[in-house]
Amino acid sequence: MEQLVSIEHVSKQYVLDHSSVTALDDVCLRIHRGEFLAIAGPSGSGKSTLLNLIGCIDSPSRGRVLMDGADTTALRPAASAALRREKIGFVFQTFNLIPVFTAAENVEYPLLLRRMAESERRRRVTEALASVGLTERARHRPDLLSGGERQRVAVARAIVHRPSLILADEPTANLDTHTATQLIDLMRSLNRKLGLTFLFSTHDQRLLDRSDRVVRLCDGKVVEDTGEQQVSHGQLSVAGV
Amino acid sequence: MRKFLLLAFRNVFRNRRRTVMTLLVVSGGMAGLLLVGGFFSFMFWGLRESTIRNGLGHLQIYSADYFRRDETHALDNGLDDYRHVAGLVTQNTHVRGVTARIEFYGMVSNGMKSAVFLGTGVDAAKEKSMGFEPRLTAGHYLDAGGTESNPALLGVGLARSMSAKVGDSLTLLSVTSDGALNGIDIDVAGIVTTGFKEMDDRLLTIPLPAAQRLLQSSRVTKLVVGLDKTENTDAVYAAILPKLAGSHQQFAVRKWIDLAGYYKQVRLMMSGIFVFLGVIVFFMVVMSSANTLMMAMFERTREIGTMLAMGTPRAWLVGLFLGEAVFTGILAAAFGVPVGTGLGALLNRSGVVLPPPPGSTAGMPLKVIPEPALMAGAAVLVLITLAVASLMPAVRASRLRIVEALSHV
Repeated sequence: MEQLVSIEHVSKQYVLDHSSVTALDDVCLRIHRGEFLAIAGPSGSGKSTLLNLIGCIDSPSRGRVLMDGADTTALRPAASAALRREKIGFVFQTFNLIPVFTAAENVEYPLLLRRMAESERRRRVTEALASVGLTERARHRPDLLSGGERQRVAVARAIVHRPSLILADEPTANLDTHTATQLIDLMRSLNRKLGLTFLFSTHDQRLLDRSDRVVRLCDGKVVEDTGEQQVSHGQLSVAGV
Repeated sequence: MRKFLLLAFRNVFRNRRRTVMTLLVVSGGMAGLLLVGGFFSFMFWGLRESTIRNGLGHLQIYSADYFRRDETHALDNGLDDYRHVAGLVTQNTHVRGVTARIEFYGMVSNGMKSAVFLGTGVDAAKEKSMGFEPRLTAGHYLDAGGTESNPALLGVGLARSMSAKVGDSLTLLSVTSDGALNGIDIDVAGIVTTGFKEMDDRLLTIPLPAAQRLLQSSRVTKLVVGLDKTENTDAVYAAILPKLAGSHQQFAVRKWIDLAGYYKQVRLMMSGIFVFLGVIVFFMVVMSSANTLMMAMFERTREIGTMLAMGTPRAWLVGLFLGEAVFTGILAAAFGVPVGTGLGALLNRSGVVLPPPPGSTAGMPLKVIPEPALMAGAAVLVLITLAVASLMPAVRASRLRIVEALSHV
């Protein structure tokens, strides 16, 4: 399978007053296009830090993160922002929607950043909202949506610009069981139908059970990787394998 | 871009209470500036018109020698054929009247006591028709059909100094145009005030023929031209210059603004005060608005972090905050202008009279003139002020570290 992200001996240390905390310690990992990959581990194990580094919103203390073969850690801030605009979609634990925008406008936001023509934007927003089953709620503002609907809007926002990689930090943590299951099904189906690469941090066993691959972190180190080979049949067909 | 403007506009109304407070501060400051500015405009207008109506006129015509050399004798630099010149000037449709004046000085005596006076010989009927009558505190004007053979008006201070009242006789002494000492008797027809104590202590006005008799001359010092509107001064000035050029005597024409030194000084000083007030309001609004915008920035830290994570250019975030400030400024201006204008209208109706200013004996009404230029200027100032106030939070927002912003609670 085509390699999307390569993490090479990455360490991350945070300096707190006079002491330093090691969040990641010499982590190596390869992520392939079309994977549905979960990063698991206890609190403080470095899951979010790893996602931040892959998402180019933080930089490692040591090591390199390559995306499509390019070293993202060497990018200037503007180039890093451009890479995030083009290649990465984010889903946050607390949804992080813009409250004064409607669901459709929130989904449209990444396309505005890419200065896409209005007709194309409208078409893609309609498509993305339909894919998460929120066509009827397009004109609602986030405060009028349920938690599950908000997270589905966040997913639509993450996929609307067709990124190479979707990063989701604890996407089901703020959802009830039923809604969380629905969201997992949704992400899984988007992964299978559209061949989108999902990488998420989670404690949620249901999500771990549905993942192709689980990478477990403990004290900043990879302690288990269920393997790069366990890719769903759907992805294989999308990848043409 | 349209969506970003929409986002900025909606953000303005995100915290309605805080927006209302900001609008109150900003539009209140703006209304205050409009009131002060409008009041200053009224003062300037009042001072201008009173300066003109108190006898300065809109234009004054002199012999060119008047400004070139000092007089050896009275009226050496006077106008000869002033009636002809007045006739030429009167042909202009904006000219309301032309009156001749003689300026002289001398001693006034009641037989017991003498005092220096600054005299003016006037064409009483013309002066009256042009609205140049001084304010009477007793008696009547020069042409009001009194029984006096040589009527005169005395300033209130000079009358007090001479212990003179209406009907009393006084003697004037002055030097004639050929250097001799001459005197005439006058009868006090009225006591007048200009509002300025220094003037009232020396002022004396007699009819033009009496002044010519006293000075033994057929000349006058100058012609004073009154117009229908002060705003027509420049146009009439430009129109009469060529007409006067063909005459045998050379003339010098002066606009009222060139002769109103006191008006110019007052205006300069008050404009300085207004600018100072504007600067104070500017800083108050900047500090208050910057604080509000900074609070808004802190409240939206996670949202800003999300926008940055999605690849929003940092310059766009600066633009977003600037846009919010500009929209707030537009709203503040939209409230501030009618509030300031409305309060001004209320003040104008209230009939409040301020105590007399220094050197004046009459109180000043508190009036506010709505000035479109001032409104536009204040609105632009508000926009600039809020844009400046938004700079610090905007730059801080654009410099947030994404990871820290996303974990902000």
